[in-house]
Amino acid sequence: MTTLTPTAPHGRSELLALSGLLVRLHRPALILWVAFVLVMSALLWAVGGPLADASASAWADYEACTSQRCAYDQDAIILYRDAYTYTTLALLAVPAVVAAWAGSSLVGRELESGTARLAWTLGVSPSRWLAAKLALPAAAVAAGTGLLAVFHRLAWSTGQGRIGSAKSWYSTATYYANGPVVVALALAGLAFGALVGLLWRRSLAALGTAPLGLLLLWGGLHLVTPHLWPSVTRNSSPAEFLPGAGINVDQGVVDSSGGRHEFVSGCGQIYDVAPCRAAYDKLDAVGFYHDYHPASHFWPLQLVSTALLLAVAALFALAAFRLLRHRTASTRPEVRTAA
Amino acid sequence: MTNTAMEAVELGKKFGRRGTWGLRDCTFRLPAGCVCAVVGPNGAGKSTLLSLAAGLEAPTEGALHALGEQPGAVRARVGYVAQDKPLYPQLTVAETLRTGAGLNPARWDADAAEQIVAGGDLDPRSRVRSLSGGQRTRVALALALAKRPELLLLDEPMADLDPLARHELMGLLMTRAAEHGTTVVMSSHVVAELDDVCDHLLLLRDGSVRLDGGTDDLLQSHTVAIGPADAADQPDPHTVVESRRTGRQLTALLRAEAPVPEGWRSEQPSLEELVLAYLRAPQTPAPSAPAETQEAAV
Repeated sequence: MTTLTPTAPHGRSELLALSGLLVRLHRPALILWVAFVLVMSALLWAVGGPLADASASAWADYEACTSQRCAYDQDAIILYRDAYTYTTLALLAVPAVVAAWAGSSLVGRELESGTARLAWTLGVSPSRWLAAKLALPAAAVAAGTGLLAVFHRLAWSTGQGRIGSAKSWYSTATYYANGPVVVALALAGLAFGALVGLLWRRSLAALGTAPLGLLLLWGGLHLVTPHLWPSVTRNSSPAEFLPGAGINVDQGVVDSSGGRHEFVSGCGQIYDVAPCRAAYDKLDAVGFYHDYHPASHFWPLQLVSTALLLAVAALFALAAFRLLRHRTASTRPEVRTAA
Repeated sequence: MTNTAMEAVELGKKFGRRGTWGLRDCTFRLPAGCVCAVVGPNGAGKSTLLSLAAGLEAPTEGALHALGEQPGAVRARVGYVAQDKPLYPQLTVAETLRTGAGLNPARWDADAAEQIVAGGDLDPRSRVRSLSGGQRTRVALALALAKRPELLLLDEPMADLDPLARHELMGLLMTRAAEHGTTVVMSSHVVAELDDVCDHLLLLRDGSVRLDGGTDDLLQSHTVAIGPADAADQPDPHTVVESRRTGRQLTALLRAEAPVPEGWRSEQPSLEELVLAYLRAPQTPAPSAPAETQEAAV
């Protein structure tokens, strides 16, 4: 008595078995991820709800105060600020942690221990094996990180305008945690981790290099972000401070013919001091200029960055597939030579 | 080409960009249905050959076909057990077998798997990481055999087993192989282990094929000649594969076409003698005769 099914539908049941195997193998990671998303969601709800309310009322007390000695709930202000900062940092840590996990646990360990070869000889082609290893975690990572980014944005927005220490939209950590960029970073981390795991074939080596590479990618993104969308320019008279608040692109001195110069070193925006005034007059300065991204550029910048990162992630994944195909035997039907 | 289970033409595999050749210029053909022993010293290229045949690595040069196809195209029809018997340590034995069944829905033979595992006094609920080496071997063999492979590649399969289990599993393996007409290619550096089961021999040394053919043909085409070392009538040196001197007596392995000198005693070599002679004499070119007669061994 055997369980041989003569014409079992090839594909669906195998796919199910492969998915089942992946979920079973990475059950601890999955549980940890779900727990992280739940805890973070609760914390972000608290940050945007009760903690923000307490902090806002403390700030209201503080700002209503006119005398020397005032009573306001300083602890509420500090608690809100810390909770916001740490939840933001925890969310921003996700891409690097995903890269480390993908490099070590998801791919590197399987190649190191030989279980990848077991899977490939159990009827799963290497390409399918990698496709499953990228697709399922990508779904979990995108869903979880996306949810947290939405909650983060909600938590952030409730503090705007009523909490003195609330972060502006262009504060670096807040900018990255408030939109789809953090999701794209996590996906790029997954693809890069898988590539590094395949390259090193060692769990520990991939654990070290994958987050490092992701941080370099992030650094590169941070450098190009101001140039991903046309900036807005505002000028001011020398008497005023630099106008416009947002993501900075360029700033300096404008002369009467519209030419741009760097700030005179040691003076910056200070005009009304004798040596600076002399220096700026020598440049024929009529004011300062500021190229920057106002708040309305948040979405264009986020979306262009996200598209860019997704393209990079796709390149990493493509490289991983090609590397694996190059290493293992080709499944293409062979053209036999006449010899 | 359906009567060929595995065929290599000038197969070569280099490790690293400027590294050493694990296999070089290997050309051979294994008839379908044979039980082939791949023998050779450590580092001869046995494992490399088997993992190339399983489609786990790509050759650097030349070609290798398994069941008439590129190895990567016939994964479902090829079973493979690696030397270190990799298994997912966090799965239980039952989960491992269930995974195998799920990934090979059309071919899975649950009975075969259970029979192999049952012999090992294994609790299906125990985790793979808690198994002994021999128990792991059982699970790995069960996975490979339950696929009903047409070609079964086993890399040092019995190394972790005690003699009793080795005998039991080898018997089971051979019965299944005979039932389904499976071609078995098994590597080992212990020739005696394979002596009574294999009917084909592939001897590797330093990454190339030294000897290839049906065991009966190979044994018939060689003679052991024993005679006085100082006799005037010595065997033709061109026909001597390898010779050894013990005191005043010379023992030489000759190719069969060579005449045995007057006054010398001749006997048929055992497989082990043959293998050892070829391993000791690395310069000897492999004879061409077995390659032509290997069809007869089927």
